[in-house]
Amino acid sequence: MVQMTINGKVVKAPDGEMLLTVIRRQGIDVPALCDHAAVEPCGSCRMCLVEITREDWNGWKKYVTSCLYPSENGLIVSTHTPELQEIRRNIMDLYLARCPGSELVQKMAEEYGLTRTSYKTIPEGDNCIMCYACTRICEVLGRNAISAVHRGHAKVISGPFDDPPPDCIGCLSCANICPTDVIEWHDQDGTRAIWGRTFDLISCRQCGKGIITRDFAEYLKEKRQIPADYFEICDDCKRVELARKMGGLVDLAKEVAS
Amino acid sequence: MAHDLAKIQEIINRSPQSPGSLIAVLQDIQREFHYLPCEALEATASSLNVPLSKVFSVSTFYNAFSLNPRGERIIRICQGTACHIKGADLIQEQLVAGLGLKPGETSPDMKYTLEVVNCLGVCAMAPVVVVNDKIHGGVRCDKALKLVKKD
Repeated sequence: MVQMTINGKVVKAPDGEMLLTVIRRQGIDVPALCDHAAVEPCGSCRMCLVEITREDWNGWKKYVTSCLYPSENGLIVSTHTPELQEIRRNIMDLYLARCPGSELVQKMAEEYGLTRTSYKTIPEGDNCIMCYACTRICEVLGRNAISAVHRGHAKVISGPFDDPPPDCIGCLSCANICPTDVIEWHDQDGTRAIWGRTFDLISCRQCGKGIITRDFAEYLKEKRQIPADYFEICDDCKRVELARKMGGLVDLAKEVAS
Repeated sequence: MAHDLAKIQEIINRSPQSPGSLIAVLQDIQREFHYLPCEALEATASSLNVPLSKVFSVSTFYNAFSLNPRGERIIRICQGTACHIKGADLIQEQLVAGLGLKPGETSPDMKYTLEVVNCLGVCAMAPVVVVNDKIHGGVRCDKALKLVKKD
């Protein structure tokens, strides 16, 4: 355990735990767009910047992304100084220019008194904030189907050779983790379309609802020792069936009791 | 374009077969073929155990790598401030007309690729033209074409 000071309060934390985690455990709300519990932090959104200093730094201080800065003894952390709020306001101003259509960005920008950007909005902007949450979650899943390609303003998230990614299994993890809901997909007539590819959906044997793509189901069965018939019935129908079984048990119990 | 897969594999095998060799291997392939063929990226990915998406990401990130075939002779005209003042525009005009190429283009016979760069860090030698890796300083616009064809 190490001992630090966060906003004037003495706090203990496990050695090396990232500052953002410690700060949030204290109930302090530090904003972040790229942070997600399912993936490793990458420090791309810059919103979680905090000010750090130490007794022996003689008043010297610096700004670090708290999601990537490990806890250490004697650290003095401030999370909401006027300077930090000004930095965060500027970052949100830039995000607003890049992602004018994102509800989350609009909401966060409003907290800094911004309703419109002071920069020029990117006309062909697609609301992607380049946080790599999608590529990071794809890596966690062991597929690595998509990555960031090209550089600078031309950078986009795409499959190898800018083609539909061959390693994609249509699991929707990328679309679900995306903070600005940029990744397009849709289910229709027993198929799912995402990243320019179309996947077969397994339909529930009872209600006919699409449950999961065949490729994702196969992948999970292989990796997670899931029973072969697990994806034949959807979760809703499983619950109904379970309730019916439980009802039967109650009847049985009544019979035994009488 | 079909490539010698055995040659590609031989280049890959020169480096340790681990993800850490990725950039070194791509550099070696780039040096051999003057660009990175698709087959080479696929072979690199499977040999070094790096996802193809990552290989593509790295090869599109660095300027040193090209995914399009480039000529034997890569000509870079410096358009940095000092070279610009010293008439890099005139040199570019001469080379564009003389080679029949716009910046970024490669001649159909795969001999020349013309590129424009922003600064090469040798401003004292301005105006500068680089042919492959040889730097030529104090280039005169009337001799530029001869220079890039001669070397």
